[in-house]
Amino acid sequence: MSNLLEVSNLSKTFSSSGGPFRRARTMHAVNDVSFDLPKGRVVGVVGESGCGKSTLARLILRLIEPTKGTLRFDGEDLRAKTSAQMRDLRAHMQMVFQDPYSAIDPRYTIERAVLEPFIVQGVKPSGGGAAQVEDLLNMVGLNPGLADRFPHQISGGQKQRVGIARALALRPSLLVLDEPTASLDVSVQAQIIGLLEQLRDELGLTYLFISHDLSLVQYFCDEILVMYLGRVVEVLPDTNRQACHPYTITLMNSTFVPDPKQRRVIRPLEGEVPSPFDLKPGCAFADRCPQVNEICRTETPELSKHSGHLVACHNPI
Amino acid sequence: MLEVKDLAVAFGSVAPLSGVTFSLAKGETLGIVGESGSGKSLTAMSIMGLLSMSDGRVTAGSIVFDGQELTTLAEPAYCKLRGGRIGLITQNPMTSLDPLKKIGTQVDSVAILHLGMSKKAARANTVDILATLRIPEPALICERYPHQMSGGMKQRIVIAMALAADPDLLIADEPTTALDVTVQAQIIRLLDDLVKQRDLALLLITHDMSVVAQTCDKVVVMYAGRAIEQGPVLEIFDDPQHPYTQALVGCIPRDLGDGEKLTSIPGTVPTVLNYPSGCKFHPRCARNQDICTTEQPELVRNGDSAVACHFAGAST
Ligand SMILES: Nc1ncnc2c1ncn2[C@@H]1O[C@H](COP(=O)(O)OP(=O)(O)OP(=O)(O)O)[C@@H](O)[C@H]1O
Ligand SMILES: Nc1ncnc2c1ncn2[C@@H]1O[C@H](COP(=O)(O)OP(=O)(O)OP(=O)(O)O)[C@@H](O)[C@H]1O
Ligand code: SF4
Ligand code: SF4
Ligand SMILES: [Mg+2]
Ligand SMILES: [Mg+2]
Repeated sequence: MSNLLEVSNLSKTFSSSGGPFRRARTMHAVNDVSFDLPKGRVVGVVGESGCGKSTLARLILRLIEPTKGTLRFDGEDLRAKTSAQMRDLRAHMQMVFQDPYSAIDPRYTIERAVLEPFIVQGVKPSGGGAAQVEDLLNMVGLNPGLADRFPHQISGGQKQRVGIARALALRPSLLVLDEPTASLDVSVQAQIIGLLEQLRDELGLTYLFISHDLSLVQYFCDEILVMYLGRVVEVLPDTNRQACHPYTITLMNSTFVPDPKQRRVIRPLEGEVPSPFDLKPGCAFADRCPQVNEICRTETPELSKHSGHLVACHNPI
Repeated sequence: MLEVKDLAVAFGSVAPLSGVTFSLAKGETLGIVGESGSGKSLTAMSIMGLLSMSDGRVTAGSIVFDGQELTTLAEPAYCKLRGGRIGLITQNPMTSLDPLKKIGTQVDSVAILHLGMSKKAARANTVDILATLRIPEPALICERYPHQMSGGMKQRIVIAMALAADPDLLIADEPTTALDVTVQAQIIRLLDDLVKQRDLALLLITHDMSVVAQTCDKVVVMYAGRAIEQGPVLEIFDDPQHPYTQALVGCIPRDLGDGEKLTSIPGTVPTVLNYPSGCKFHPRCARNQDICTTEQPELVRNGDSAVACHFAGAST
């Protein structure tokens, strides 16, 4: 299986400007992230709020510029591309956003929203706009009769389908899905996940699926990246794999299982995510980690193989 | 502690809520689940007597709290209950917190108002409560302002306010929806401990079936403004009788073997403006018969459970 996307040592820092009484500070939103996304796979990204999931997504689509690292899409080095070349390439990689309410411009009809990518790319839809819109709406299970409605006239689930139709307009091979069901009810979520499964099978799509819902990721994804404070700390190559990183384990223990038969004492992770500004040396999880020892405070653990998969921890379990 | 019977609510000619029946005892957690717009918050607002704020009114049914009928209660008496014996926690902590006042002052004021405590006693009470909520350095936190705290911390302060007057009933409307998974686990765990320690009755409104599965004793399922099924949590998850509950449970990613798929419900949830006739679920129901389009099924009780469907039971 060849890789559609190869991400190496990708980093993004944001800095806050200093002032007379403030130091300029640097924040590592995404820190030295490497992974491969094989064609046709569904790779999930999980982690707490602020750990850098959305920043990673935007870096991959080059909606923002990385501070460091390389990105290869279908064998081509994305960072070597000019912006014109990048625009053509972007047709092959599209994003679906969390909030269907803000992702679609309320002033435009559904038809216009779905045609947006053609307008941005400056290409004519094959077979004409109306036919394309009908085709795309059908593809995501929407009645083409909705084309002349406005976003406020349709439901949240329908809006998210419009978001997916728009992302599919230019026939991409990669879809980056940033919490596509987070604002939806569970029955609507099930409809959207069903649609994504069907599209993957029919169109051979590859997905990067960002979510904070572990049960959903375990159901939908083939492989899971666990992020903490900008870094990938563990890569679970399949969803039955036993986690070894103390953070992944606590994250799983503090996740509610949607099954009253599997009630358990939840051991929530105490303390809060440390500030991503001016990171201390060593492992970022050290202050909350039950396994911590001296080396953790001085040396940042790198991803390395442990019981057959990648873990970034000095004392994996 | 709380007994709601056949509750119906209207705003002018719009009647978004009807046929809501359930009861809740001390030391018990009752979950109300349902999709967006199904009437969960309206139910909570009716119990809190807050409908008149938005021109709504109870048109039928009763709400009895500890032997006292609330639907006919006069406003001054309601005022004493609200924030006193009945505590409320809302989804967005900032709707309950004043950004300009210190945390301590805000929590103190609840005990001063409802329990007639002196300032000093109220502060001691506040520090105590903050400590049980495992807020580090409670005395220091009292001197802080809301904007100096994270979302999870703010939600704990709101819980502290709801607890300050030592309530008997706590109503939590989506208390963790805006929070991170790990913080959500901390908050839900806290609420769970409080129910046990203080013998509270907790009405937990959520659309998160995982939270329900882990914390509730009983569940009420709402659809299009009606309570359509209720029962012990295990039965709702493992042996639901109503076609909607059965479909809803199939949408949850759990217990699935390799290759097994989530099931989904065709169509969309109706809104108040286009509630169907008869059973409100009939346009989406696989078991639907003629009678379903004309006659609203009543909630029929059977032991601890109740279901409103002409053909409850056997799955399709
Ligand atoms: N344009 C920006 N300027 C400064 N800081 C930013 C910017 N974008 C993101 N950040 C910071 O980078 C960190 C990572 O943010 P990001 O949105 O990627 O997190 P996330 O994992 O998607 O979180 P969530 O689950 O809440 O969506 C956060 O601390 C955020 O405040
Ligand atoms: N002030 C009002 N006037 C008219 N209709 C209202 C009013 N408040 C609520 N409704 C209607 O009552 C219905 C139930 O609303 P409610 O807020 O109880 O839903 P909910 O179950 O809490 O949904 P959510 O999960 O989105 O919070 C909705 O259809 C809503 O449009
Ligand atoms: S490196 Fe050390 S502190 Fe970090 S997760 Fe592993 S054991 Fe814990
Ligand atoms: S009453 Fe009829 S339409 Fe309604 S849930 Fe039961 S079988 Fe379905
Ligand atoms: Mg994000
Ligand atoms: Mg609500």
